[in-house]
Amino acid sequence: MAEIKIENVTKRFGDFTAVDNANLTIEDKEFMVLVGPSGCGKTTLLRSIAGLGMADEGRIMIGGRDVTYLPPRERQISMVFQSYAIFPHMKVYDNIAFGLKMTKVDKKEINRRVNEAAELLHIEELLDRYPNNMSGGQRQRVAVARAIAMQAEVLLMDEPLSNLDALLRLEMRAELKKLLADINATTIYVTHDQIEALSMGDRIAVMKDGLVQQVDQPTTIYDRPANSFVGGFIGNPPMNFMTGQVQKDNGQILVKVGDSLLTPASFIQEQVGKYEGDSITVGIRAENMETLVDPTTDAIPVTVDVVEPLGSQNLLTVRIGDDRVKVSTHPDLAVRAGQKVWLRFPAEKIRWIERQSGKVLYS
Amino acid sequence: MKKRNWTPYWLILPTLIYLALFFAYPMVRGLILSVWDDEASLRLQSTASITSDAAGDLPQGTQIRLLDRQGNLLSDEVADAANLLTEQWFLATGVDVEGNNIEGWVSENRLRIREEAEDGTPIMGTIRRKLGSTADPLTDIHESASSVSPVIAKVEARTELFVQEVATLEVWFQIEGENETGETLTGWVPSRFIQVYGDEESGRIDRANQGAFTLEFFEKMVNDRFFWPAVRTTLLLMLFIIPAQFVLATVMALVIQARLRFNSIFLYIFSIPLGVSDLAVGILFFSIFTQNGLLNSVLQGLGLITQAQPYLTADTRHWILIAIWLAELWRATSIVMVIVVSGLQAISDEVLEAAELFGASFWQRLWHVILPLLKPSLQVALILRTILAVQVFAVVIALSGGDIVTVLANETFRQYFEFRNGNVASAYAVFILALSMLSAVFYLRAVRTQQELS
Ligand SMILES: Nc1ncnc2c1ncn2[C@@H]1O[C@H](COP(=O)(O)OP(=O)(O)O)[C@@H](O)[C@H]1O
Ligand SMILES: [Mg+2]
Repeated sequence: MAEIKIENVTKRFGDFTAVDNANLTIEDKEFMVLVGPSGCGKTTLLRSIAGLGMADEGRIMIGGRDVTYLPPRERQISMVFQSYAIFPHMKVYDNIAFGLKMTKVDKKEINRRVNEAAELLHIEELLDRYPNNMSGGQRQRVAVARAIAMQAEVLLMDEPLSNLDALLRLEMRAELKKLLADINATTIYVTHDQIEALSMGDRIAVMKDGLVQQVDQPTTIYDRPANSFVGGFIGNPPMNFMTGQVQKDNGQILVKVGDSLLTPASFIQEQVGKYEGDSITVGIRAENMETLVDPTTDAIPVTVDVVEPLGSQNLLTVRIGDDRVKVSTHPDLAVRAGQKVWLRFPAEKIRWIERQSGKVLYS
Repeated sequence: MKKRNWTPYWLILPTLIYLALFFAYPMVRGLILSVWDDEASLRLQSTASITSDAAGDLPQGTQIRLLDRQGNLLSDEVADAANLLTEQWFLATGVDVEGNNIEGWVSENRLRIREEAEDGTPIMGTIRRKLGSTADPLTDIHESASSVSPVIAKVEARTELFVQEVATLEVWFQIEGENETGETLTGWVPSRFIQVYGDEESGRIDRANQGAFTLEFFEKMVNDRFFWPAVRTTLLLMLFIIPAQFVLATVMALVIQARLRFNSIFLYIFSIPLGVSDLAVGILFFSIFTQNGLLNSVLQGLGLITQAQPYLTADTRHWILIAIWLAELWRATSIVMVIVVSGLQAISDEVLEAAELFGASFWQRLWHVILPLLKPSLQVALILRTILAVQVFAVVIALSGGDIVTVLANETFRQYFEFRNGNVASAYAVFILALSMLSAVFYLRAVRTQQELS
């Protein structure tokens, strides 16, 4: 059992708060991805869990043990560093065996585990080499092998793929996901790449400016972001945001966007109604709008600014009021820049967002 | 045609000049001094002229017989050489045996000067009488100032001659002697190379003009009574100073690297000795260890001893060595520390953290990660330190005066300034150089980094 509980953890560097009162629970054997833009405190939080840099406040529990004040080597964790931190003076074999040797594991057992880890990462032929002239991909495999050879119940990974080129990253992503599923450790995986987060995690914790914004399953994070930051950060293209004016017409709550009116779904009418006479942010994902080339009464007429054919889809940029909106369409739909199209907004896909706090309203 | 880029060559030029002028030239000169005997043998000429054919070489010190002598015009550069024998010849006018007015050269052996000007310039003289019955009673007058030049007239003894001009000639000897292989050689040599014995018939070759390779200076060095004590002390000091220094320096560097509160103050304090000259350090430690120095006053003040103890005397050599050891430790540990600190800073923090995370204790990290990664720095520091240790000098002089405890550099100094023997001093210097280079090569091979091995 290695459940990780992070309770009210705060970490400061001087006046600067890198992690602000973080609360997070990672279930036993769960794969948790910590995602957020660079500098948001992901590494700092991960290092607090690892014991590299003590948390200033709060408590960290691993497997029911309070490890807040324990040095790293007593926390029974394993880690892949962002720069890999491979020992340059040791052969790959000794790199992988390092942790096992330090903890006085039996020689035969070390040999078995090193070979097993090397096999899992397909680096058997590198075991006898020094790391100094290996490629980024090879070093990365060595770093992962070294971490999994420990067979610790907790595995921490800090942007293990960020130093690889795009193609290799894509390949390693799938391989790593399978590997980590097989070894079945409680994993915290840090990345700034939202696609990596969506594709790998059992759950995702989104961070911004040292604050944990939302913790949930990938589909939930994508569909039901807690706030405009999460909506804008997760997904490519990011969620579209438009300014709307809330008004009441015949007891019906309507939101005026550009020159057109949107009707909130019935389950959210009451919530949106609180902002009557005020403005509200309307959020919708590019693929959630329906594009029609013929005039329709329940659709908004817009003019296409740009068409970007991306193969699997065409990405249109249109203007609604003062806001630019990206719309994803079927590649077969023939649309040219300058053409007039009609957009239909499915009511249940629209997210209503409080302007001030950026909080998404849910019933 | 491909255009050649000359810029790199221009950039190399100053380096080459520097290397030639300040590095290669003194090195080569020093080396030559130690193995080249400038005066190994004397060249014999077939006639009494430096331009004549060589008739063989005789080593310096050979016993010789003098067979004949002859005067030769003296060149200015040898005018004040030791052992130089000269004779004067006079250009004189007078009346010869046949009653003709003549002008010609006569040697001072034949003309006795009777009248001189106030400044000593000869004016007039008379021909000496020849002794012995067989000799020609007349005296030869020569065409030029040389006994081998043609005779132009003969004059009787007691003839008065007026001196017009004086020429100084160097005497050359025709000598005979045996070379190293027992062969008897005969030839002409200038007098300045020869020491003539009292009998005027024999002598020895005192100086020489032919250089040759020799190991004589190294033999002299090795047989010098100070040589082995100097080697022993130098090596002993190295053996005790260097390991202690490295342990100390590494600890100091780790203290600094630990990023404690007063980190930079430590660095400043540790670096102070870098700015103090070695002679000053020697004098400082002398003032500590001397009989009414700091150490005695402190010990007396604490009541540990009742009387001031002498430390730096011939009977307490071990104390001198300890004082030197302490002074050198104090003086030269910081340079090692500076190198180790910079080496430590080059080790990535993440690598150290990884070691910690994967279960290594402090000592395990030190042994398995920090020290191996410090190897290149330690290597540099070791080479530097060993070379400095081989050259240790001022501290030793200050603490021992250079007699009770001596080191190699001190012997170099002694040979040069006390014994005025530049060759043996050079031999010492070359010996020090060889020790330094040997140790550098040894360290480069022994402390090789793993990457180099692969
Ligand atoms: N050792 C440190 N000293 C001062 N500031 C730091 C230190 N480490 C990180 N920070 C700051 O804390 C913030 C969060 O850093 P980090 O956790 O590394 O971000 P991330 O991993 O999400 O990119 C950054 O603004 C960074 O500049
Ligand atoms: Mg980071």
